[in-house]
Amino acid sequence: MSKRVRHDRPVPRLRPALDRCTGLEWSAARRWATAFAVISLVAALAGCRRSNGGLNDASGRVRLVFKYQPLGPDPTAMRRLIADFERAHPEVEVVSEVLPNDSDTAHQYFLTALEAGADLDVFVVDIIWVQEFARAGWIADLSPAFPGEAIRRDFIPGAAEAVLSNGRVFAVPWYADVGVLFYRSDLVPRAPKTFAELEQFADQARRKDPSLHGYLWQGRQYEGLVCNVFEAIWGHGGDTGGGDPLRIDTKPARAALGHLRSLLEKGLSPASVKSASEEDSRRLFQSGRGVFMRNWPYAWEEAQRPDSIIRGRVGIAPLPALDGIGHGTLGGWQLAINARVPPRHRDAAIQLIEHLTSTESNRVLAREYGRHPPRRAFYRDAQSAERGLSPALYPLLEAARPRPATPYYNLLSDALQSEFSAAIVGIRSPEQALARAQQQIDRISGELR
Amino acid sequence: MISPAGERNQAYGLIAPATLALAGVAAYPVLASGWLSLHRLILVFREQRFVGLTNYATLLGDARFWSALAHTSSFAGIAVSIELAVGLAFALLLDGVGRGKSILRAAVLVPWAMPTVISAKIWAYLLNPESGAFGRLLPGVDWLGTPVDAMAAAILLDVWKTTPFVALLLLAGLQSIPAPVYEAARVDGASAWMTFWRVKIPLVRTSILIALLFRTLDAFRVFDSIYVLTQGGPANATETLSIYTFKTMMRSGDFGYGSTLAVATFLCIALISIIYLGVFRAGFGERA
Repeated sequence: MSKRVRHDRPVPRLRPALDRCTGLEWSAARRWATAFAVISLVAALAGCRRSNGGLNDASGRVRLVFKYQPLGPDPTAMRRLIADFERAHPEVEVVSEVLPNDSDTAHQYFLTALEAGADLDVFVVDIIWVQEFARAGWIADLSPAFPGEAIRRDFIPGAAEAVLSNGRVFAVPWYADVGVLFYRSDLVPRAPKTFAELEQFADQARRKDPSLHGYLWQGRQYEGLVCNVFEAIWGHGGDTGGGDPLRIDTKPARAALGHLRSLLEKGLSPASVKSASEEDSRRLFQSGRGVFMRNWPYAWEEAQRPDSIIRGRVGIAPLPALDGIGHGTLGGWQLAINARVPPRHRDAAIQLIEHLTSTESNRVLAREYGRHPPRRAFYRDAQSAERGLSPALYPLLEAARPRPATPYYNLLSDALQSEFSAAIVGIRSPEQALARAQQQIDRISGELR
Repeated sequence: MISPAGERNQAYGLIAPATLALAGVAAYPVLASGWLSLHRLILVFREQRFVGLTNYATLLGDARFWSALAHTSSFAGIAVSIELAVGLAFALLLDGVGRGKSILRAAVLVPWAMPTVISAKIWAYLLNPESGAFGRLLPGVDWLGTPVDAMAAAILLDVWKTTPFVALLLLAGLQSIPAPVYEAARVDGASAWMTFWRVKIPLVRTSILIALLFRTLDAFRVFDSIYVLTQGGPANATETLSIYTFKTMMRSGDFGYGSTLAVATFLCIALISIIYLGVFRAGFGERA
């Protein structure tokens, strides 16, 4: 090998070359570059803050930022509702911003945005977030404008309970959802009232057509599983409402998990239930292969589509129970106000919430988007009773139960999800799973108090 | 002319932007997580309190952390082993192909080019016991509803998705072997088997190590594919460190303990890197 040749020519130096290129002294160039960097940094930081300090536009109108999830493919009706408000309140301008539809993703957004002081005035909150957001001081106490008595009087009980914290109101119910039982009216004589009846009807239908699945529900490890298990617990006479910490290791809960597990063991529910979320169940039911399904009412709209093969052959009923009536889990969205909005905005924000949660707006949401009103007045009205699913759902909504109202619901739910899942897939007995869940819940509420 | 001192200053000036960028995107977040991990900081309760190493004590006694660590390690270990074996086979095949090499190479890359979330969604459909292709091929296997099968499904998805990456890295290594080396082996009467073990493997050793390093680190921080497939279920059987960290921080808003989990993950990954780099150094030392 030969030695590498050394270059005798000096390596050209960069700095004079640079100076020649720019025609500037190096130090001057550096000063300019530094100044530019500082200016852009300051500008970038300023951009992170609210874009205009006064929050009002040039005309002096109050600018309200309203953040909600798209209600349906056609935004026209919602836009009209907001335009109506602006017409009635010329001093206010409403800027709508859209949130992701997925509840978990929206929660994540709020967690960071509200903590960072984002520019939001009015926004939607899932029913399970109200206590958390209230405790964190992110949403304003609305009691002066919406007193607790009025909320209790005007709204279905579950929704009223969910928005109240220590007697104070932190959000106003906007639309409600409830877990219900779907049944194939062509395959079973009527809706089953008890678990035993459900099994019996499903067996009868499956004897005629063995390819049918008896009962579809959601057993994947996620929030939906918690709803399904709570419904089974309530159906077995259990109560998850009272007391902090939540008592989950109870006789009805053991019976409920045992019941759900037995549905899988008996083959009444297909194995796919263990990894199913709402849409998995809905698709299977929609393909005509399920006798019964637990789901949210949205599945009704899907079943009644013109191209649906189960159109006109589906009924909706309260969830079954051991005896007596079953209760569905209450879901739904409420409107709240950012705790940091200045007083002048707060008045406008309250007016916006009053407008959007009025009986008339409830009616628009029910008619245009199939969202079920939480306001009792809607159901007393002859006009509303004419069409849509909402009137039929009213008794179910009245009987619906909220999930435990606690600021650390997500922590509880996380513990419950994995233990419920363990019992459903059969790697732990209901007794073991519930004992473990109780331990975690006690630890969480002990630590966080 | 410029003095040597001026030159040194100029050098500092030139590396300053890169140093700043690295400090901003790498050092700062790591240090900030480390600092947060010494606090009790749960957003809902509006308190930030310095608690020293309390979170780390909790971590050591946290059964969920240990099982997440076990899931992550077994996922990474099994997935990367299979990827290496299959990737090497692909690379050897591609290296031997005469015509249509570029088309084949592009075809092999397709799974890797697809966004993870989308491929995970597709796999979730494929694995659906009612409607998926796998459900029909292997009826009775409830992929995402049984702990062991769900982990197998996650590994399968990872293997499908990232084997092309390994294959491509190894192919590059194989193609850098000069033809005379093979000729010499042939002249010496080496069989194909011996050529493989004595010539190809030693010469692509560096590529193998690089592929292993990348893949192990990547697999150890796996999040998106498993989150889409199972969200860590059933019964937390597929919960990896990243998923546990994510749930603690972003869902529960517990930034203190979440940061502790993140730091633990970081330390695991640093350990893996150190081990690999040690192996690298040993490898290069041998050669010199």
